[in-house]
Amino acid sequence: MAVMTSSATRIDPDALARALEGCARGDHACLREIYDRIAPQMTGVAIRLLRRRDLAEDVVHDTFVRIWEKAATFDPARGSAVTWIFAILRHRALNVLRAEGRTDLTDDFEPLALASDAPDAEAVVCALSEAGALRRCLERLDPPRRVAIVLAYTRGLSHGELAGRMGIPLGTAKSWIRRSLLALRECMA
Amino acid sequence: MSEDLDARAGEYVLGLLDHDEAEACAARLVADPAFARAVEHWRSRLAEFDLSAPAQVPSAAVWARIAAATARPAAAPSPARTTRPASGWRLALAAAWESLPVWRGIGMGAAAAALLLAIGLGFQMRETARAPVLVAVLLSDDNRPAAVVNTFRDGRAELVPLAALRAPEGKALQVWTLWDRARGPVSVGLVNALHSLDLQLKGLPTAVPEQLFEVTLEPAGGSPTGRPTGPILMKGTASRAL
Repeated sequence: MAVMTSSATRIDPDALARALEGCARGDHACLREIYDRIAPQMTGVAIRLLRRRDLAEDVVHDTFVRIWEKAATFDPARGSAVTWIFAILRHRALNVLRAEGRTDLTDDFEPLALASDAPDAEAVVCALSEAGALRRCLERLDPPRRVAIVLAYTRGLSHGELAGRMGIPLGTAKSWIRRSLLALRECMA
Repeated sequence: MSEDLDARAGEYVLGLLDHDEAEACAARLVADPAFARAVEHWRSRLAEFDLSAPAQVPSAAVWARIAAATARPAAAPSPARTTRPASGWRLALAAAWESLPVWRGIGMGAAAAALLLAIGLGFQMRETARAPVLVAVLLSDDNRPAAVVNTFRDGRAELVPLAALRAPEGKALQVWTLWDRARGPVSVGLVNALHSLDLQLKGLPTAVPEQLFEVTLEPAGGSPTGRPTGPILMKGTASRAL
């Protein structure tokens, strides 16, 4: 928990929600406040997904333009400012991943490479708070299923790519993920 | 049934779906409030992955580009946001901002509206005694009208912003004009936030068609070199007003 303190202070959902309201009023300083608070975290997430800083920075740019234009549609009753912002970022980044350029980004993905991904995925799990439900519940999954969930979210892998990397048929991969998701849901309820 | 809905929402939030499947989910967000709630639930369950990613400071150019691209009014605030519950059209809005075609439409609509505003502004001014001789529409780097410069017969010139733009802490917005490449750009205004302002054209030759006006982001107090050093936030050339 201690290592998260500085970013947790900056990524204060209430402060971000107030800044979004400011953006909705056309107060440009509020957009800058959001940028100062959360742009480094957004850039980190985008680089992890896209693995190229230039593409990641383009996605961060596009996300801020949308935040500015769509701030008035943010509704605190439906969810936190943090998930609202990251949903825009992830949607943009996944679009880039799914676009034609994707093959460039995945050239270094070897088939059946899940074993070599496992240390990366376990590092992602270790970065989660020990006290948090996400880590506790991920650790209850079988290791290959845990790795699959983590890679899907943090690298943006599709069903097909996961199946290829796990060396299992697509249908099997889909039912693994589905059961893992339902187990996570039960555990985190 | 609820398992299917929840698993589908989870797959969507994980990012596993191909483009068509993801678009179908975006449409379902509009039509199916239970699905929208399930998606929001997954987003918050998995948010810690994003919050625990190693942070990376973006390069300075990123903010400069954002500042330029957002140099226009944000969407009008929704009129009844404090009282309205999560109604169907709000969900429709939520899905609409995830749809690229809708975005393109909104972007083009906004640009068109701003251009009409610029043209309208030009008409209104022509009807007054202070008809401008030259008008320059300054466009941001994504080609949206961001400000208008009007020059007048008596040598005055004014800049009228079409969008809110404020310089970040420690920075300033500097207005430049260029009519002679040999002389180079000359500073004609320095502000922290864009507002209607008179440009300092005294002592300069009378403005001419094709004369360039631009706004750059500079250190507070203005460019230390007397020439633009920061990113261009908007620019445009003057045309004779009919």
